[in-house]
Amino acid sequence: MSVPTEYLLGLAAILFGIGIAGFLTRRNLIVVLMSIELMLNAANLSLVAGARMHSTQRLLDGAGPDLQGPVLAIFVIAVAAVEAAVGLALIIALYRRKQTVSLESVSELRD
Amino acid sequence: MESNWLWLIPGLPFMGSVICGALHFLTLRARERNPEAKGPAALAGPIAAGLVGLAFVLTTVAFSAIRGEDRTLLQSAPWNWIPVDGHTVAGVAMVVDRLSAAMGLVVTGVGFLIHVYATGYMHGDRGYAKFFAYLNLFVAMMLVLILSSSIVGTFVGWEGVGLCSYLLIGFWYDKQDGWPAEAGQKAFIMNRIGDASFLLGMFLLFKNFGAFDYASINAAAEATHAAGASTGQLALAAALLFGGACGKSAQLPLFTWLPDAMAGPTPVSALIHAATMVTSGIYLIIRLNPLYALAPQVMYGVAVVGALTAFIAGSSALVQRDLKGVLAYSTVSQLGYMFLALGSGAWVAALFHVITHAFFKALLFLGAGSVIHGMHEEQDMHKMGGLRRYMPRTFITFLAGAGALSGLPLLSGFFSKDEILGHTFALGGTWYLLWLVGVGTAALTAYYTWRMVALTFFGPERFDAKALHPHESPAVMTLPLVVLALLAVAGGLLGLPHIFHVPHLLHHWLEPVTHAGDAIRFGEHAPHLAAGTEWMLLGFGALIALYFADRGFHAHKSGLAADEAFQARGGALARTLNNAWGIDRFYTRGVVATVKLAAVFIAVVIDQLGIDGAVNALGRGARRTGESLRRFADGSIAGYGLWMGAGAAVLVLVLTWMGV
Amino acid sequence: MANLLFYLMATLATVCAIGVVVARSPVVSVVSLLGSFASLAIIYLLAGYQFLAAVQILVYGGAVMVLFLFTIMLLNLGDPAVIHGESEPLFHHSRRTLLGLGVAAAVGAAGLIAILRVAWSAMPQPAELPEGGLDPLDQLAASMFTHYSLAFEAASVLLLATAVGVLVLAKRNRRPTAEVFPRESQQPATPSSPPTSTPSAGAQGQEVAEEGVLS
Repeated sequence: MSVPTEYLLGLAAILFGIGIAGFLTRRNLIVVLMSIELMLNAANLSLVAGARMHSTQRLLDGAGPDLQGPVLAIFVIAVAAVEAAVGLALIIALYRRKQTVSLESVSELRD
Repeated sequence: MESNWLWLIPGLPFMGSVICGALHFLTLRARERNPEAKGPAALAGPIAAGLVGLAFVLTTVAFSAIRGEDRTLLQSAPWNWIPVDGHTVAGVAMVVDRLSAAMGLVVTGVGFLIHVYATGYMHGDRGYAKFFAYLNLFVAMMLVLILSSSIVGTFVGWEGVGLCSYLLIGFWYDKQDGWPAEAGQKAFIMNRIGDASFLLGMFLLFKNFGAFDYASINAAAEATHAAGASTGQLALAAALLFGGACGKSAQLPLFTWLPDAMAGPTPVSALIHAATMVTSGIYLIIRLNPLYALAPQVMYGVAVVGALTAFIAGSSALVQRDLKGVLAYSTVSQLGYMFLALGSGAWVAALFHVITHAFFKALLFLGAGSVIHGMHEEQDMHKMGGLRRYMPRTFITFLAGAGALSGLPLLSGFFSKDEILGHTFALGGTWYLLWLVGVGTAALTAYYTWRMVALTFFGPERFDAKALHPHESPAVMTLPLVVLALLAVAGGLLGLPHIFHVPHLLHHWLEPVTHAGDAIRFGEHAPHLAAGTEWMLLGFGALIALYFADRGFHAHKSGLAADEAFQARGGALARTLNNAWGIDRFYTRGVVATVKLAAVFIAVVIDQLGIDGAVNALGRGARRTGESLRRFADGSIAGYGLWMGAGAAVLVLVLTWMGV
Repeated sequence: MANLLFYLMATLATVCAIGVVVARSPVVSVVSLLGSFASLAIIYLLAGYQFLAAVQILVYGGAVMVLFLFTIMLLNLGDPAVIHGESEPLFHHSRRTLLGLGVAAAVGAAGLIAILRVAWSAMPQPAELPEGGLDPLDQLAASMFTHYSLAFEAASVLLLATAVGVLVLAKRNRRPTAEVFPRESQQPATPSSPPTSTPSAGAQGQEVAEEGVLS
């Protein structure tokens, strides 16, 4: 694939924006959580784009590919999984209390 | 040769102070369990007195070592207190020379007697051990003041005795009327004014001579005189040091603390506020006599201040009702005499009067303490009278002290006072005026002394003898009185006038210390009185003393009629004398009120309006900002996310724009 | 060919992402999310990251997606209109939604501007992929267990803590709290009090909030 790096980054920016839009506008907590997953994916994509660019340079110099990017991306995936698990557990606990998963129902922080 | 054992002279009383302090804490511990427990406090008195006695013995040893012509000085190894680049800037050694030996003997000797007396006087006081801790600390500090080889060491002692004075004046700080506590503070603050002046003078001396030790300062002063160099700054330094002496030795205008210092226990008044501490100003000037001799104008000022103080305090003593009050004003007045002597260049006469005054005034104070003790803490002479029948030993010794103070012929005070007046007379010119003031004060002294004797020991009893039971004090208190009485009677032998054709012991003794000052001040031809003039002055002084002593005694021996008549007739004069010429009132109205006004201004305008206002404005501002920012924290996740996202966008744009 | 596939997948990922945000039913959202993840996995593959693509499918497409679906099914959160018989609004009230869209656009635009400001021609251009892609598994594993071992251990601790935390959060209190913590139960509406008492606590909170507004 000879798609230039900036295209990959552009796609990441667009996906991130969509994720933010979902996060800020939706009332359903589950969808909000999904939007966060979208943003994390966008971040991962930008990591991959950067890693590919650096690897290209390193391969030209005769060194092995750059591994920082993929390693960080794997950790991000792990953290994302953790975040999803905790977030969903919180949603279940919330549902038990209030019989709803609407964001409007949780505003106790105001006080 | 170095004599390091000299450090023991102040060291022993200091040790006693530490021991007595420890005993006091042990007693307090014992009282925690049982409020009535005695604890080991009773040990403090003998230990304290014994250690001061030991210091007296050591001082005597040192004294006898410098008797000969070949050796007039013992010196310990210096303690390098403030080293700068390896040089000794302020080395402090203990020095016993002719002057400090004489002063040291007075301090330890009279101090020992007063310690012995105090073991009886303070018996049963709840702060018995604490009292001796303070008293011993005082003796130690006084010895440091006297024996130090440098003015810095003297300053340490100077401040130390000031502290002890404060502690001991306020010893009964929990008394109902609060007088001791306030008097202690007053003494401390008045002394502070003088001490500031002392410090400035000390620094000025260092700036000019680059040294703190007396030997260098005096040598430099002599060199300055020999070179005929300008003495402007040195005169200023001498004046500033005299300001310090004014504070410590209770001279105009700082003397008002001494009458109030009588709030302390009577042994304290005797030791600190009559015999020793208050004479340290005189000691300082004798020590620096070449410096003062360089500045005749400052010496004239010293003499004028001394004469005025003597007269004002002496006249105030005429009308006091408080037995110790009379003695206090009398002390201020006698100190004035000493400064008059110093101003006239009569260093020896000043020290002579210091010594005799230490004897007879300590005796009078201790006698007064004995009276007060026997009268169960009554100090008002108007409520005494006829006490000679109840306390004969106190009475006899008190008579000896009164005779010496009033200058009755052949007693110690007669010779020392006449020597001062003779020196003043010999200078001629405007000094005749000061001589007149001195003679007037001598008359006042004789009058108030015998008024005091008459009111206390003669006349009808103005108290209920059945209820009060006045009693003679125990032997431990009267024995020191007897010793001091002998000294007060015989003290004049130290300095008999040369017209008696016997050597003036003190003059000869002090020659090594004072010859430099004399040489600078008078050159080769010191003013000298003809033998006939001197006999005349001596006879005149005797007549004055006898006449006014007689008047004072007979006017008051039959009761209070004379006092009451004066108070009724005297009007403004009586009020002025009662208040010591209104100087205290001037301080209260002029200085204290002004300071209080400034304090109120600072408290209300600067603190409450300015500082508090600023702080409150800050607080209100923060609160208002918080109130207005509050709606951003609406508790909704989407709301928080909105601001987070907006911030992220701004951050990205800023970083991009910065080219990161 | 590969480039064409990238554009296709990029479009698909974008469309699916929009689908996640606008779908009425959470189930539809989950399926769209899965589509987006899968497209990204293919893009990773095209970029030369084989292992990452596999992990993306396994973790996201497998584990996370199942978790989401499971939760939705467990709580019976299908289409709310169908389930509850009423049409709840999908989005926040209009002002907040507009603001949210604005911020999202701003962030996206800021990212794009940042990208455009870089002189990409000076950067290394994509070249032929080496054998075994850009994340050869042996090198990846070696660096992960040596150079990144601290991060690795931290991640494992995080996973363990998550397992425990989720257990505690999701556990249903079968016994009334009063028996377990007799003393605390006397205080109303503590966080650990039984579910029956929470509505009143919520109501209380609301009252307090209203008071706050009034004052």
